[in-house]
Amino acid sequence: MNILASYNWIKEYLKTDLSSEDFAREMSLKSMSVESIDHLPGKFENIVIGVVSEMKTHPNADKLKIAITDIGSKKVQIVCGGVNLAEGMRVVVALPGSKVRWHGEGELVELVETKIRGEESFGMICAAEELGFAKYPAVDHGIWDFGEISEAEAGTSFVEAFGLDDVIFDIEVTSNRVDAMSMVGLAREGAAVTGDKFMAPDIETIKEIKNEKKPLTVSVKDSEACPRYMAVVVNNVKVEASPAWLQRKLLLAGHRPINNIVDITNYILHEYGQPLHAFDYDELAGGEIVVRAAKDGEKFLALDDKEYELKKSNLVIADAEKPVAVAGVMGGRNSGTKANTRTVVFEAAIFDSINIRKTSRLLNLYSDSQLLFEKGLSVKAPELALAKAVELALEIAGGEVASEVYDIQAAEYIAPVFSMRTDRIRKLLGIEIQNTEILDILSTLGFEAEGSGDNYKVTVPYWRDHDIEHEIDLTEEVARIYGYHNLPSKIPTGAPPTGLEDKALVWESNAKRYFCSAGYTELYGYSFVSASMLEKYGLNPHEAVVLHNPLTSDLTHMRTSLMPSLLSDIAKNQGQVHSAKIFDLSPIYITRKNDLPLELAQLVVAEYGQEDVPHSFLRLKGVLTGFAKKAGLNISLERLTDDEKWHPSRSASIMVDGEQVGVIGQVADKYQQAFGINKSVVAIDFSFAKVVLKMKKIRRYEPIPEFPATDRDLAVVVDVEVEFLELEKTIKEQSSIVESVNLIDIYRGAGIPEGKKSVTLSITLRAPDKTLSSDHVADVMKAVEKVLKKQFDASIR
Amino acid sequence: MKTQLEKLKDDAITAVKDLVSSPKLEELRIEYLGRKGKLASILKELPTLAVETRKEVGQFANEVKSAVELAFMEAEKAAQAIENESRIKSEWLDITAPGAEPEIGHLHLVTQAMEEVLHIFTRLGFSRSRHPEVEWGHYAFEALNVPKGHPARDEWETFFIAKDPENPEVAMYEDDNMAEMVLTPHTSNAQVREMEQSELPIRMININRTYRRQSDITHVPMFHQFEGLVIDKGITIADLKGTLDFFAQNFFGADRKTRLRPHHFRFTEPSFEIDITCDQCKGEGKIDGLKCRTCKEGWLELGGAGMVHPNVLQAGGVDPEEYSGFAFGWGVERTLMMKSGINVGDIRVLYKNDLRFLKQF
Repeated sequence: MNILASYNWIKEYLKTDLSSEDFAREMSLKSMSVESIDHLPGKFENIVIGVVSEMKTHPNADKLKIAITDIGSKKVQIVCGGVNLAEGMRVVVALPGSKVRWHGEGELVELVETKIRGEESFGMICAAEELGFAKYPAVDHGIWDFGEISEAEAGTSFVEAFGLDDVIFDIEVTSNRVDAMSMVGLAREGAAVTGDKFMAPDIETIKEIKNEKKPLTVSVKDSEACPRYMAVVVNNVKVEASPAWLQRKLLLAGHRPINNIVDITNYILHEYGQPLHAFDYDELAGGEIVVRAAKDGEKFLALDDKEYELKKSNLVIADAEKPVAVAGVMGGRNSGTKANTRTVVFEAAIFDSINIRKTSRLLNLYSDSQLLFEKGLSVKAPELALAKAVELALEIAGGEVASEVYDIQAAEYIAPVFSMRTDRIRKLLGIEIQNTEILDILSTLGFEAEGSGDNYKVTVPYWRDHDIEHEIDLTEEVARIYGYHNLPSKIPTGAPPTGLEDKALVWESNAKRYFCSAGYTELYGYSFVSASMLEKYGLNPHEAVVLHNPLTSDLTHMRTSLMPSLLSDIAKNQGQVHSAKIFDLSPIYITRKNDLPLELAQLVVAEYGQEDVPHSFLRLKGVLTGFAKKAGLNISLERLTDDEKWHPSRSASIMVDGEQVGVIGQVADKYQQAFGINKSVVAIDFSFAKVVLKMKKIRRYEPIPEFPATDRDLAVVVDVEVEFLELEKTIKEQSSIVESVNLIDIYRGAGIPEGKKSVTLSITLRAPDKTLSSDHVADVMKAVEKVLKKQFDASIR
Repeated sequence: MKTQLEKLKDDAITAVKDLVSSPKLEELRIEYLGRKGKLASILKELPTLAVETRKEVGQFANEVKSAVELAFMEAEKAAQAIENESRIKSEWLDITAPGAEPEIGHLHLVTQAMEEVLHIFTRLGFSRSRHPEVEWGHYAFEALNVPKGHPARDEWETFFIAKDPENPEVAMYEDDNMAEMVLTPHTSNAQVREMEQSELPIRMININRTYRRQSDITHVPMFHQFEGLVIDKGITIADLKGTLDFFAQNFFGADRKTRLRPHHFRFTEPSFEIDITCDQCKGEGKIDGLKCRTCKEGWLELGGAGMVHPNVLQAGGVDPEEYSGFAFGWGVERTLMMKSGINVGDIRVLYKNDLRFLKQF
C-alpha cells in the first residue's frame, strides 16, 4: 500500500534539516521505500493569482470569453471558456512558459502566447484539474474560483498563495506496518532513521460543555468484531467548505475535499492512520447507535449511491431502525454530513481485521478506512484521533461538545511484552553491536526494555501491537535501523551441504541442450489450457487438475498431455513459419485420489511442413536414438497400427526395456484437422519421467580395429513392406565378417515395379585378425545375394 | 672431351632458360640427362681416355651433371610458380556471399536464464532440487507463517484447485475437512519441504513455475521464480548479503550496484527487498532532466529475501535456537528483463510460442 506524504506535514512532527533527497534515502534504506520525490514549486512556475477586472464577449466564438485579468504587474487579455467565469473573480493564471495539463488529461503542455480564434491570449485561466488537483470539487467546465479559499493579491505566485512550497513523497508502506500509513507514523519512523527529534502530537482531551446535552445511547452487540467503540456528539456545527490549508493538505494527500466535517475525518485518517466516521445526529433514529451483525438480506444504501444486500457475517453500525454504516468500510447515503447538518456524532472505533476483510470482499466494497482496518489497528489508537477530531471541529466548524465521550471497550488494554536476548541479535546480524545501542534503537521506536546483561523484557508500543509477534521481530527493528548497508557481506562457510543435484533435473537440462543442438527450437507455454483444447485431442477434461478460480476461460485445465499445446502452436505458426523443428520438455499433471497430482516430465519433439515425410520421420527417429545413446537408454521401436491419434502406417511405439514409453509417427489426419493444421506433422510424444531414472552417461572404450575394412555396395529390389531390420539381420547372419549394414537409399518410382522398392545398402566387412582377401569378400557377397534372393525374392541390380 | 662437356653445360643451361612449361622441360631434361641423352653419349667415350685424364674428366663430368640438374630444378620451380599463380587466380572466391550457418535450435529465453542463474549458485555450492507446483496450502502458506484468513494471502492472487473437476465452482479450501490445494504462487513452498526431506546443512536452489491470477503487459499468469535456501549453524545477514552480492555481480556485471532495503514477508524476519541500479538512467532516476519511466528514483526492485523466520524453521523440524538460515525468491523473467535490456514491451510474448520470437535467442 502506498501513501502520498507531504514533507512539510511530516515535519510538523519531526524536527529535521535534512533535504528531501537525504530524508528519502534514509527512509528507503531503513524504513519504507520512497518510490518518488515530487518537488512542487518546480511544477507551478509562472503560475500566479489573477483577478478578472473586465469581461468581454469573444467576437468569433460564442462559448469563449475575453477576460481582462490583473496579474499584479499588469493587466493581460486571456481567452477563456470557463462557464463560471465572472468579473471580480480571483483565478489561477498559467502564464506563457508554465506547464499545465489540458482538461486534466494527457501530458503536461508548455503554454505560449497565442491567438485563440483571432484574439490574443496571454496564458490561460486554469481549472483545478489542469493544475493537477483533479479531486478539487470543481464546477463542470468551469475554472477554479480561487477566491472561495483565498484572498491572495493579484500577482502572488500560486505556490505562495496555496502553500505549495513542499515536496511530496510517494511511499510504499509494507502491509504489516499500517502504523506508518500516517504522517505521525512516518515522522516517528523518520526520527528513528535520521536520529532527529520526533515531536509527539499535543492534543487536548475532550471537554464536555454542559449547557445543551444531546442524548445518545451507544451499545456494542459483538465485542469480538468491535473491540472498541468511541463516540461523541458535537452540536451547532456549521458545515461548509474547509479552509484552504485543509483542502490543500487533503488534495496533496490524494483525498477529495467535501465539507469541513468529512474533511476532518479524512485529515485524521491521513495524519494518525485511524479511520473516523461522522454521522448526522438528526438522521440517527431513536438517538441510538448499535454495533451489531447485519440481518441476512438487510439492504443498505451506501455513500457511493449503491445499494448493498448484507449478510449476517457483516458488521454494521445501526440506529434504532436500520444500518447507517457498514462498520469500518463505508457510511450510509443518508446518515452522512450534509450542508444542513447541525449536529454530528464522531465515531472512532476498532473493528476486527478479518471481519472487515471478509465483508469488503463479499460486498466488493473498498475504502481508505477498510484498507487500514483490515491490516489490524490497535485498540489504543482511537482516543487521540477522536480528541483531535473534536479539537479541529471546534476550530473550523464551530460548535460545542454535547455529550459524554462514549467508550465501550471489550477488555482492558494490555501491551504485548516479548523477551529479547541481545546475544541472539548479535549472532543473527553477524556484528558486535553493543547492548546500549540496541536499547537506544528500540527506544527511538517507542519500545521500552527492562532487564540486564543480555536478557530483556520489551514492551511494544501500542501502534506496533499488531506487527510485533515474536522476539525475532525485535531483531529486525534493530537490524534495519542499524542499517543493512552497514552490515558486512560474506560467502557462507561451514560444513559441506548435503544436497545432491536432482538427477531428473540434470537430465532434463541435458536433453534440452541436446535437442537444441540437433536443430530443434524449444517451445515454452502455459501449463494450463482450456477444456476444449484437451477435447480436441480426444482427452477427457474431467481427468485433469481443474482450477477453481481461473483467470480466463482459456486457462482452466492443467495439461495432461503436451500434444494439444504442440498442435495448437503449430497451427498458430504455420502461416508465418512454413516449416520448423520444435520440441518441448515440460510437466504434465496427472490427478490422484486424495493426493497431489503427479507432475511428470513429458517430451514432445516435432517437425512440420517438411516435404519429405518419411525422411522427416527418420530424422526424428535418428535424433531420438541419438539421445538414447547419449543417455544410455536401450530403445527400440515397434510398429503401431491401432492408435487412432497416429498415422496407421507411419507410426511406432517407443519401447525402453520392453516398456512402451511413447510414440513416434505422423499425427493422424483427424487431429491435424481438428487443430486446423494444413501441413503434415511428424512428432514424438515421450514420457521423459518414466525413463529418466534409467538415464546415465555411458563411457565405454572399444579398441580401434587393427585391420582395414572393405565396403561393398549392394542394390536390391524387394517388396515395399520388406523392412530394413530383416535385411540387416539376414545379411549379418551370413558371415561373422559382416561388421555392419548401412542403408544408403530407398527408392520407389520410375523404373521400379509397382509394389516394389529399390534398397541400396553398403556392407562393411572386416576380420579381427587379418586383412581380407578379395576372394573371401566375394564369397561372402555371393552368399548374401543368394540368401536375399531366396528369402525376400530380391532381384540384384 | 672437356670442351664437349663445357659446351653441353652451356647449351643446356641456355635451353632451360627459355622454357617455362613443365612438359617441354621434361623433354629437354631427357634430351640432355636421359639414359640415351647427350651427356650419356659423351660419357660413353670416357673409357677411351688415359687413366689420369679419365679421373679428371670424370670429376668434371659430375660437376657438369650437377650444374645442369640444378638448372632444371630451378626452371621446374619457376614453371610451377607460374602455374600455381594462374590456378590460384582461377580459384577466386566471393567472400562476401552469405555464410551457410548450421541449422541450430534455440533454447527458450527463460530456459537460458534459468541455466545462467543456476550456474552462478552452483559455484557457491547450491544444489538444484525440485518441489511441487501443485501444492498443499500447508506448504504454500501455513508452514510459511501465513495462517488461514491472514491478509497477507491476498498479496499472491492465488489459483485454487477445484475439489471436483466436474464442478469447479467448489474449491478444496471451502470444505473444512479437506486441505486446500493451490498452484504455488511462489517457490517458497520448497523451504519447509526441503527441510523435511534433507539433512542439514542445506544449500538449495529451486527454480520452478509459479502462478498468480494476473495478466497484463508486465505480468503473466505463469512465471518462474528461483528460490534459494541456506540453513546452517551461525548463518547471518552477512551471509545473505554476500551471496546475493555474488549473484548480482556475476549476473548483471560489476557496473550495477545493489542495495538491501527493509521489507516485509511473513516467512522471513528480518525481510529485505533487493534493489539494483536502473540500466536505463544508470541509477540517476532522471534521463535528460525528465523522470526515468523504468525505475523508482534510480532503483529497480529485484526481489525479496530474508532470514528464515523461526516459525518456518520449526515447521520444517529445525531448531531455531541451534540453526539459522536465509532464503530468497526472485522472479526469473523479471531478473532476465533487468539484465539484458530485452525490451519486449509486453512480457506475455514470452509464452506465446511465436517461432519468429523464439528463434531470435
